[in-house]
Amino acid sequence: MSKRVWSHPEVPVEEKQVQVWRSQDELDRSPLFRNWLDREFPEKSSELTEEERELSRRNFVKLMGASSALAGLGLASCRRPEVGIMPFIKAPEWVIPGKALYYASSMPKAGGSVPLMVTSYEGRPTKLEPNEECPDADGTSAFTQASILNLYDPVRSKSVLNKGKKSDLAAFQSALSSLIKENGSIGFVFGKDDSPTRNRLWGKISSQFPKAKAYAYEALESDTSAEALGKGVKLNVDFARADRVLSFDCDFLELDQVGQVGPFYDRRQGGGNTEKGLYAEALDPDKMNRLYQVEAAYSLTGGLADHRIRVAPSQMVKFASAVAARLGVAGATAPEGLTEGEQKWVAACAADLNEHAGKSIVLAGSRHSKTLQSLVAAMNMALGNVGEGKPGQLLQTGLDAYETAAQLAADLEGEKLDAVVLMTPANPVYDFPADVDFGALLEKVPTSIHLGLRTDATAYAATWHVPSAHYLESWGDTKSSTGTHLLLQPLILPLYGGVGELELLSAFLNKGELALGDEKTPAAGYNEVRETFEAASGNDVATWNNALKMGFVEAKYSAAALPQVQVESTEEFSAPVPTKEALDVMFAPDASVWDGRYIDNSWLQEAPDPMSKLTWDNAAYISPKTADALRISKKLVELEPKTKPYWIFPETATAPQPEIGEAGKAKAYKIDVTINGETVKMAVMVAFGLAENTIVLPVGYGQAAKDGRSGAIAYNSKRPTVGDVGLNSGFNVYPLRTQEAPFFASGAVVEKNSGRYSVALTQEHHSMYGRAIAREVSTNDVESHGHKVGYKSQVKKVAKQGMDSHMPPNQALYKSLDTKGQPLISDKIHQWAMAIDLNVCTGCNSCLVACQAENNIPVVGKEQVAKGREMHWIRMDRYFAAVDDEDNPEMIPQPVACVQCEKAPCETVCPVNATVHNEEGLNVMAYNRCIGTRYCANNCPYKARRFNFFDYNKRNPLIEKNLYKGPLGKKQEGDARSLQRNPNVSVRMRGVMEKCTYCVQRLENAKIKQKQITRSKALVAGLDSDKSEISNEDLRIAVDSVKVACQSACSAGAITFGNKLDGKKAAVVRAKDSLRNYDLLNYIGTLPRTSYLARVKNPNPDVPGAEKVGTATVNIH
Amino acid sequence: MANIFPRWTNITPLKLAICLGAIGFGVVFVFAVYAGPSSQRVGYQPSQPIPYSHEIHVGQLGMDCRYCHSFVEHGSHANVPSANVCWNCHGADKGRIKSDSPKLQPLYDAMAKNRDGTDTGKPPVPIEWAKIHKAPDYVYFNHSAHVNRGVSCQECHGDVDEMKVVHHDQSLTMGWCLECHRNPEERLRPLEEITNFDYSAEDYLKEHVINNADGERITEPSEFGAFLRAHWNVNPKESCATCHR
Repeated sequence: MSKRVWSHPEVPVEEKQVQVWRSQDELDRSPLFRNWLDREFPEKSSELTEEERELSRRNFVKLMGASSALAGLGLASCRRPEVGIMPFIKAPEWVIPGKALYYASSMPKAGGSVPLMVTSYEGRPTKLEPNEECPDADGTSAFTQASILNLYDPVRSKSVLNKGKKSDLAAFQSALSSLIKENGSIGFVFGKDDSPTRNRLWGKISSQFPKAKAYAYEALESDTSAEALGKGVKLNVDFARADRVLSFDCDFLELDQVGQVGPFYDRRQGGGNTEKGLYAEALDPDKMNRLYQVEAAYSLTGGLADHRIRVAPSQMVKFASAVAARLGVAGATAPEGLTEGEQKWVAACAADLNEHAGKSIVLAGSRHSKTLQSLVAAMNMALGNVGEGKPGQLLQTGLDAYETAAQLAADLEGEKLDAVVLMTPANPVYDFPADVDFGALLEKVPTSIHLGLRTDATAYAATWHVPSAHYLESWGDTKSSTGTHLLLQPLILPLYGGVGELELLSAFLNKGELALGDEKTPAAGYNEVRETFEAASGNDVATWNNALKMGFVEAKYSAAALPQVQVESTEEFSAPVPTKEALDVMFAPDASVWDGRYIDNSWLQEAPDPMSKLTWDNAAYISPKTADALRISKKLVELEPKTKPYWIFPETATAPQPEIGEAGKAKAYKIDVTINGETVKMAVMVAFGLAENTIVLPVGYGQAAKDGRSGAIAYNSKRPTVGDVGLNSGFNVYPLRTQEAPFFASGAVVEKNSGRYSVALTQEHHSMYGRAIAREVSTNDVESHGHKVGYKSQVKKVAKQGMDSHMPPNQALYKSLDTKGQPLISDKIHQWAMAIDLNVCTGCNSCLVACQAENNIPVVGKEQVAKGREMHWIRMDRYFAAVDDEDNPEMIPQPVACVQCEKAPCETVCPVNATVHNEEGLNVMAYNRCIGTRYCANNCPYKARRFNFFDYNKRNPLIEKNLYKGPLGKKQEGDARSLQRNPNVSVRMRGVMEKCTYCVQRLENAKIKQKQITRSKALVAGLDSDKSEISNEDLRIAVDSVKVACQSACSAGAITFGNKLDGKKAAVVRAKDSLRNYDLLNYIGTLPRTSYLARVKNPNPDVPGAEKVGTATVNIH
Repeated sequence: MANIFPRWTNITPLKLAICLGAIGFGVVFVFAVYAGPSSQRVGYQPSQPIPYSHEIHVGQLGMDCRYCHSFVEHGSHANVPSANVCWNCHGADKGRIKSDSPKLQPLYDAMAKNRDGTDTGKPPVPIEWAKIHKAPDYVYFNHSAHVNRGVSCQECHGDVDEMKVVHHDQSLTMGWCLECHRNPEERLRPLEEITNFDYSAEDYLKEHVINNADGERITEPSEFGAFLRAHWNVNPKESCATCHR
């Protein structure tokens, strides 16, 4: 049965070239995609397979047997279960059972740490929010949101290992003491985050141990920028001052941060975010910034760019020097070999930059070569973009004290170290450039100590592994991107006896004595952090307490002197163009596992990759044309005969082969990627917007596989490096990297092999009908029906794009008045609503993970995702749109959760009234009432409802076939992860429908808190309570005082939420008054409470193709 | 052929039907009455590790509920007091009230103290009180939302001041909750009287002059409830999300 389909007018012939699509199949209008559109779940995914049917029949018989046996034992189960209440012995200060406490802390991160506000329930940290009090607050990324799950990871390292065997802390301490007594040359390897206390302790250590050395290493942090700008120097950008941004492969909004991103998004709003609040003013195109992005593969920053051009990594320097030559940079010459279009692009871009000299910024991807870094620095100097009051600032960080990773490898090779202490969050045995065998180097050192959260490859290779305390368990301090001194305070005692970095460091100054603290005395880190603090801010206890309360101390990095940047002539200026025989390679950070450290984080693994929508794996990406040229099918989803004999095709024997749904069909081809004689066999997928003859290899996967795949390290059950989450996921591409070419390589050969690999892709899941779903306009004049239309007219027509241009207003079937003639949505105090601004949304998944953390959303595992059963309440749709150039399309992300229809089609079909409207406009779910008919999901045009096909919370979905074993399956409830659960949200069980309800638990809490005014009003006035009158205004919560989880996580401020009855004081009301505002699938007449604001592109009219930018949906009917 | 069955068997089916019907009805009736929450819950009276008597503490000594259940106005839970609260009066080195009673042994174990006030040196053992009023885990009942809006402890917990051993007084079923959410005026009282178990609206109205909107003195308790409801803008919700999230 398919849904009723509207007959739409034929698209005029001249508009045929406009295309908006999510996947190759949608572009081809394949029947498989139609299947996704028509159905709630793909064909057969909601029915049982033969095997499942067999299993469930057996289970039924077993259950029946068991229950009749139990019934025979009498009515024992009728007795009321005795439940105990265990109060505290001595009530701790501030703890009120059932009420959350909030503590400021921060998450250390290379390039600038994240100030956080941590929610804690009775001593359990459960949720991370950005610390809005801190001037450097910048939202949180998906990594930050998910990092709380690492704290409760059941496979976290729990004991000290000595040469891979279980040992204890006492043995380690004695080894440490003897190591210190030797006073040899100890090498300390730190992460690339900047910690003042660590720097201070290192200073002390280096004077006490004159032969000691310190290094900084993280797999994805490069030293090239510091080589160009000076040791420990970094460029920090104030985007508020940058009218024009030119970025060479710099994903500065997500993975490659160069400064606070909030101001960038503000500039995107074209003066829309003033002191009067967001959307107080309409977007003014003249006040918008403009972003030029030169990149090889689609980044999320590239998705937001006004002009994006595809350039292969090896050609980046060439392209940059073309721009530099036009900007008059000494030493830069216009290269040869640029196409005419590229030259025009460069000319227009350079002219625009010149026009905005001193008010623009040029950025280079942090992993690019020193040559590119110098070129970019020279461009910024030439434009006068760096310095006081300018967009760019050169800042001196505290990282100048540390040697590079290359130096570390050389010192290890030369046997110059007696001991090495690895405190870096990286995993060098696994992620160090592969031409250096780091494991073998470690063996050359008599003593190696590894401090880490996971028992990863390095943990087993080192002589000692010490479990590390999570950052939420330890004292510490760190620096934000601009140098604000951020404090870390423990929210909980180490769950598994972990040792903090500062404790280990201070043990070196304390004869190897580890002061780990307990319930009464703080760990050594506390004293050390406090000492650092007192050196800067004095020893007043009140100042310290206040700093701890706020989580930060105001400080700034000092400005570094402008360096003399020399653009040296290197081979890169004449690098050969990649061909299909010698491809360019880009080793990319992965949006789920970063450099591999989050491999055991199930939230991140299941969050679909923002661009490819791949979950649980990595795959090589190539452009459709290159795929064609290499004779790899550009079809991603193809049926494979199920009966392939495994003895002929051994690859298919090991690959999981679920039989139903997309999983049976979505099998990526496998290829052999060879660079310099090293080959990796891995899955390949077609990606749009990729430079031709370039292959992208995301790193960090393939850390352990049991299924014998060749592209991953074999799993050793005696030395497990990963848990259920990281097992059998993806392919390890680190063996292809060399020290010389750690992030980009050339000359790769790709060959198709016969293998196929099952992938769990969500890109077509929950596809909606409708056209112009994610809308955009251009500040440029746009050709429409033969005449030019300016920005103002385009904006006026945003609500009339797509279906809404020709569909008559729809009448809802559902009544809005009750039987007494009263409005059903009757509340006069609160009416909730949300607006999502596509103009600044990059599609980074931060909201998706934040929602998962807040609402106890389970993880379902790869097999279930492949069947379309993922549970994320927020679905991050990603559309590609191209007017004619399908190879370089625009990208528009669109988060879709339940839109809380006022005339909700789901409610009327529920036979048990489990989903109903409340008085405040929410479409609420009573989970315990739901009987799982799934009629509601079937009737939801937005496909926003998720069904618990299994008890994902209780049974471990990551063990193969475990879910089908019913009560005999392995359980996971009660492991450490349950401690993360939000106590204010029901944990749903099998057979229950669930969805977004605007974080109703937060709304109810805020309302209840507001109700206490009844008491306080009487008390303050000294009145009898019956004299104090309570009005609607008294009971209304303060304007915009409640933030929902997705909203507070968003660093772009793309989500506004509030009370419609607050009028213009509420940002959400102003957003909805904006001309850019439109309702999703408005033509159905559901009156959704969540609306969207169209994206605005600000192209430069002189750039070739500018007339097409931002016009993808303008003319759609 | 002679009749095999005698004549009297003609009414046997009817008798059988009546009997079976009666048995069926009886079973249903017994289940409905005795297995429902109002019989299973009401009257539930488990014994506690310390035979704490609300009758003595509240009824005779006049202690306020909020001395022990201190967060009832602030949080969702009306907390059970931590052991140090009991210790304030009963502790060997504090109030010394009945400090040698063997019934207080669990308290001494919790505080890890000997009868003379010295430390036992043993790890403290928290007191595990038996839970009497248990809302299902999908119900998010909030005490502060009720006691701050004029619903007394007494309405749900009964005359605790007369209970030597606390028992479950009301059924606490969803229907029971909704009854009050639909007609809250019958259960509202001035905030000052929230923890007063001897409150009577008639007496209160005799002592206090309260005028209705027309300026007339209120004398009827029912009118007083309606007055408080309107005055405080009490409009309890009946939609699911009020209690289920």
